[in-house]
Amino acid sequence: MIALYNNKRWKLSSYVIALVLILPMLVMLVGSVSASTKLFSHLWQTVLPSYLANTLLLAFWVVLLALFFGVLSASIITQTNIVFKQYLRWLLLLPLSMPAYLVAYLYTDLFDYAGPVQRILRSWFDWQTPNDYWFFDIRTLPGAALMLALVLFPYVYMLTRGALEHQDQNLFRASRLLGLTAKQSFFSVALPLARPAIAVSASLVLMETLADFATVQYFSVNTLTTAIYDTWLGYGDLAAANTLASILVLIILFVVLAEQRSRSGVTHQSARPSLKRELIQLSVGQQLLASLFCWSLVVSGFLLPIVLLIIMAVQYSDITQLSALILTGMNSLKISFFAATTAVFIALLLGLYQRLHTDKYRKIPLQVSGFGYAVPGTVLAMAMLSTLGPLDHWLNRAGELLGFSAPGLILSGSLFAIVFALVVRFSAIANGTITSGITQIPQSLDYAPASLGVNLLGSITKVHLPILTPTILMAWLLVFVEAMKELPAVLLLRPFNFETLSSQIYQLISNEMLEQGALGAILIVLFGLLPIVLLNKNKERV
Amino acid sequence: MSALLSIEQLSITLKERNIISMLNLSLNEGDILGLVGASGCGKTTLLNVIAGFIKPNGGRVFIDDHLISDGEHCLSAEQRQVGMIFQDYALFPHLTVKENIAFGLSKLSKAEQLEQVDRLLSLLKLSDYRDSYIQQLSGGQQQRVAIARALAPEPKLLLLDEPFSNIDARLRNELMLEIRQLLKRFNTTAIFVTHNKDEVFTFADKMAVMVQGRLLQIGAPSIICQQPNSYQVADFLQLGSWLPCQVKHKSAQSLLGKVTLVTHDLKQEDLLYLLVKPSHLRLKVSIDENSYPNAEVEYISVTEQGYHYYVSSINDPTKSELLSFYKLSVYSDIELSLKQKVTLSIRPHEYLFFSRPD
Repeated sequence: MIALYNNKRWKLSSYVIALVLILPMLVMLVGSVSASTKLFSHLWQTVLPSYLANTLLLAFWVVLLALFFGVLSASIITQTNIVFKQYLRWLLLLPLSMPAYLVAYLYTDLFDYAGPVQRILRSWFDWQTPNDYWFFDIRTLPGAALMLALVLFPYVYMLTRGALEHQDQNLFRASRLLGLTAKQSFFSVALPLARPAIAVSASLVLMETLADFATVQYFSVNTLTTAIYDTWLGYGDLAAANTLASILVLIILFVVLAEQRSRSGVTHQSARPSLKRELIQLSVGQQLLASLFCWSLVVSGFLLPIVLLIIMAVQYSDITQLSALILTGMNSLKISFFAATTAVFIALLLGLYQRLHTDKYRKIPLQVSGFGYAVPGTVLAMAMLSTLGPLDHWLNRAGELLGFSAPGLILSGSLFAIVFALVVRFSAIANGTITSGITQIPQSLDYAPASLGVNLLGSITKVHLPILTPTILMAWLLVFVEAMKELPAVLLLRPFNFETLSSQIYQLISNEMLEQGALGAILIVLFGLLPIVLLNKNKERV
Repeated sequence: MSALLSIEQLSITLKERNIISMLNLSLNEGDILGLVGASGCGKTTLLNVIAGFIKPNGGRVFIDDHLISDGEHCLSAEQRQVGMIFQDYALFPHLTVKENIAFGLSKLSKAEQLEQVDRLLSLLKLSDYRDSYIQQLSGGQQQRVAIARALAPEPKLLLLDEPFSNIDARLRNELMLEIRQLLKRFNTTAIFVTHNKDEVFTFADKMAVMVQGRLLQIGAPSIICQQPNSYQVADFLQLGSWLPCQVKHKSAQSLLGKVTLVTHDLKQEDLLYLLVKPSHLRLKVSIDENSYPNAEVEYISVTEQGYHYYVSSINDPTKSELLSFYKLSVYSDIELSLKQKVTLSIRPHEYLFFSRPD
């Protein structure tokens, strides 16, 4: 690949932007290293082992359950003749739009002692007290794991389904000709070949679990994310919170590296996936079991929660809720708009830099800028506070020295911090989408404008940007939706009296009053559905 | 006539590999040069250097006596007035035919742009498609749009990178003749890259053969084919088969007999290779006192010119193994079978001997 342009200002701005995006993380890590070892040993002697154990145990159970749900459902959909396959194919993706904390609240409401299920059971069997019967307690670590797995398994489903569908069908034909049945071929050929995709999806689930804050907080399961939140907001100890956040970053870094190592050089995509696949024919009993399994996932992960939310909305919504919803909705729209626009602008600048600049290391700014995606919102918020807080103090002191009035917390206490955090966290989404759009453009189109006497700016504005318009819109929308849903970073960084849809719903959940925010919750789910519909549509087209 | 393009001592190294070394080339105004060579020999790299997409490591490039590249300073691609037609045409999918052609005309007024676009649309028989998008056109029509777009800014030099490789054979010849006429009409100097020598005969005035980053021969295509200057040139152009010969006493001895050398500057005992075209060989089947079998049939195919055979020398322990020949191409009306023994002899002709590079 030959790059075309050698613009120094472009080079400088690309590296500066990448540095700015990663700077808060560096400041936080340096801060935690320089924190006193006394503090760390205190943490280690008191709460850290149990937080760590809970975090790892939760991650283990969520990954295990998500793999079970995701791999089995993907296998059933791609390899068998299950009925209503055409609907289940996309219905199984829908739980991804449901925030885990919403599902957690709704199921707690449903299955708790005071909930309708236990009430009905008590009235049927004439039980008087909790001692008269046993019923599972959902507000536990396994309960939290189940809630998270119910909404995260679609990652595993989506990637495994894709891997299974793109395998070379001639491999199975060869396997059948060598004497294996369709079922045996699946276990000895298809599933081992899908291993890299399954590993990637498992690492995604793992990262999402490590990043989760609201579900575990609601279930009172103390993990590293809740510890960071409590240490900062409860005790105001930034150094301790930084140390905990750094430990979490190290665990995530380990996951990312392990995942990359496990699949290095392994690809099993085929040029002949479209050959007709021979499906495993299920008996009536098997059909029933398979359908029950898949539909249970759809119902428990999406349909039941959304129906419960709709019922709540119908029963409890009133005009005051609507006006509150409009206010918080506007706040969400505002920060998501700024975050999406900034992230897409940066992705374009760095993506085109990677494509068109002569710099030998032109890939670095783009790679560095996407690092934030692996970082949980809670950690990112700590990084922002560690960086922007001292900057604010410095600005205030500088202002006072120059005889101006102190400007206050203009960086750490304003929307700037939230938008900055959202841009860092979701730049990778914009980068990935824009880069994939850029790679679709034939390289000869980079050269053609120059051969017609058109310069770099003309080439970008007249050729690249118009061709990339659908990709830009897609990237913008994906970041916008993720920013709308983001909770922990917003909770920790929002200015006083500033609520977004997600933070308001979280407050209502914490106060056991979700009914008051059911409409907003539905709105978040609907926004969450948008990228799923779009991505699924794109995949089907491919 | 002064040279429009002049390249002196050009060298290019990419990823620590010498792609082009010490290349010289000169091209007069209005000339169309067909640049041929095997894949990876550096043809497209040379075009990219001339266009300004690759910075050379050394050497100088002049266009119209203006220095555009000297290894340190490089005029940017958009300032060179060099047009290019890409292998995949590189047409802008978001623009119409008319907008594609007008793309490089932003320096002209709207009226002048319109006039130039209309002229090219009519010359290239594209007037009916002026508002169509590229995806709505056939391969041949897209090719026409690409040439119209490249010619619109009236470049001093036009580069064509395998522009006919995506067109089916029947249309290809027609289109090549049409575009050649157009280039001649505009008196446009052009370099045309291909690995098909037949395309050069149809399209170009001159042919240049490139092997491993060096230009081995430049000249009229018919002259090069009659008088290749090296083993590599003749071999790449597939001008015939190779018969090993040993020089002895002003003659060259081969397994097909002795031929007298005209030139006497060859070293004794040198192993040389005689270029033999099918028409240079005589094939006999009947064996008599004067002829003995010296070859056997290795491969048979049927062509319009009769049977086509590849014959190789018979393994004979009394003869030098150095002189064994392999797969000489010969045509005949006689029907032979595989491994059948035959007698081959060389018809007198102007002999071309080459030594084979290591």
